[in-house]
Amino acid sequence: MAKLKILEFPDPRLRKKASPVDAVDDALRQLIGDMFETMYAAPGIGLAATQVDVHKRLLVTDVSPDKTEPHVLINPEILEKDGVALTDEGCLSVPGYYEEVERAGHIRVRFLDRAGEPQEMEVEGLLAVCIQHEMDHLEGKLFVDYLSEAKRQRIRKKLEKDRRQAAIVM
Amino acid sequence: MASQGARVRAAAAEAVDAVVTRGRSLDDALADGTSRVAPEDRPTMRMLAFGALRHHWRLRAWIGRLVSRPLKRRDSVVGALLAVGLYQLCDTRIPDHAAVSLTVDATRALRRPKLAGLVNACLRRFRRENLAAQAADDDESRWNHPQWLIDRLRRDWPDDCEAILDANNARAPMWLRSNASRQSAAEYRRRLARAGIGSGPSDVAPDAVRLDEPQLVADLPGFADGDVSVQDAAAQLAARWLMASVPSRVLDACAAPGGKSGHLLELGGGALELTAVDIDAGRVQRVRENHERLGVDATIVVGDASKPEEWWDGRPFDAILLDAPCSASGVIRRHPDIKLLRRAGDVDALGARQAAILNALWPLLVPGGRLLYVTCSVFAAENDAVVGGFLEANDDAVEDAVLPSYNNRDLMRRKACGYQVLPGTGDMDGFYYACLARKVS
Repeated sequence: MAKLKILEFPDPRLRKKASPVDAVDDALRQLIGDMFETMYAAPGIGLAATQVDVHKRLLVTDVSPDKTEPHVLINPEILEKDGVALTDEGCLSVPGYYEEVERAGHIRVRFLDRAGEPQEMEVEGLLAVCIQHEMDHLEGKLFVDYLSEAKRQRIRKKLEKDRRQAAIVM
Repeated sequence: MASQGARVRAAAAEAVDAVVTRGRSLDDALADGTSRVAPEDRPTMRMLAFGALRHHWRLRAWIGRLVSRPLKRRDSVVGALLAVGLYQLCDTRIPDHAAVSLTVDATRALRRPKLAGLVNACLRRFRRENLAAQAADDDESRWNHPQWLIDRLRRDWPDDCEAILDANNARAPMWLRSNASRQSAAEYRRRLARAGIGSGPSDVAPDAVRLDEPQLVADLPGFADGDVSVQDAAAQLAARWLMASVPSRVLDACAAPGGKSGHLLELGGGALELTAVDIDAGRVQRVRENHERLGVDATIVVGDASKPEEWWDGRPFDAILLDAPCSASGVIRRHPDIKLLRRAGDVDALGARQAAILNALWPLLVPGGRLLYVTCSVFAAENDAVVGGFLEANDDAVEDAVLPSYNNRDLMRRKACGYQVLPGTGDMDGFYYACLARKVS
């Protein structure tokens, strides 16, 4: 397995819309393994393929504190959503920023699992929030899109400045 | 999505800061932050806040060496975050790189982005210079207690002082009280075993069960039905002691949150007539909830135990349990914020208040009846000094020093009058007990 590079806002590749996975094969399972490794190392609780510059409808999550609840969702679709959850969200592609975002508190989602089998599950709480956050990535959308224009620009400028400084140090 | 780790650390830092700079209790401060943290992350938030307060003085000394210019008053929460960060590096299994990056991110989550660099530099320097390996150079940072508390423990317990300080800094186990009217403690332990929960018995408290690992109460078999309650084994000595003489009319003074009165009623069955008094109307509500869950009934009164003329109906009691308001110096392992919230002067003021309540309640006891004086303190000024002074001034009071037969005497320290359980002894909290009998004239 290998750790992958995570794209960072405002990288335009984060805006690409992902296309459906047509075959769950060994190459895809290799990518899934790499994505888990990348997510755990970050540390994160969810990662969409878009964030590692693979534009397929695939995401991984694990909201447990001890790596005991890994989920793989391929070609996910939300069937139902209700309730409200307010969460201070952060994103591995927007490092160091946390802002409150409102999402559905409960969702029913259909997807293919690691074996390519269709599955449905009902989730609530942090996992429901996380799946919605990752599914946004597959549409080219980021959590900062829910913030005010001024706030989003401030974060963008700050991240660009951090990267320029990092480049000088290296 | 990024881990909630930064949010959790920010919330822990806010709670620690509320205790350190605003004198709020840790339970209240954690409750303030709970809604912003996902349920799966709340145990981590608690663990970090408890740890940072348990080790407050040692962490404060390190922070003093790492931060060249003191933080501004309005940035005190970043000082608390540094304590949370250093605690993770020296006393948890959280990998160092995760602890550093999430704590630095938490600086931004606390809306102090300009200080993220400082937090990052401090945590990295702490690791690089291995400050954790350096010996503490003063009492406070060595023992993680304020000097006045160390001095008082040395004076009151010259031979046991260090053992008490160590016990105060250890994590406390979760003790349960099996409801004796439903099942024995051994039977309840079998129910736990069937649910996959490991446990052990107590040497002194027949109804007590110690869990191998803390559990959520919702996961305890029969909790909602009142088959079991959460209560330290030392606190469970009180009701058994008082009920040994089979009283029919009992007063529980300073009863909230109702653990001991629930135990009295479990042991007494329907025949026991219990009056529970507490001064705090909000906490009296907790007594009601506890009694309701246990399915027991008592007369519950909001009133000042030192002014019985305001609430007493004039009928004497066969037995009185006086669980006196105290410094709680015996339960520091469960409430590390006590080390920061109490002041030296509090202890003497509490001693005067305890004596006032004892004097006020004594006439409510029938001749031949017994009063059990209890504190969760280890200080003589709140314990044998109060009871000794009372015995000297009251000819109709005498100590009944006979311990209940099931008690393991080795765990109870005999004082000039009364007995002390020291924190950590038998894995229990620190409690003081003195049983006083009113002479028949």
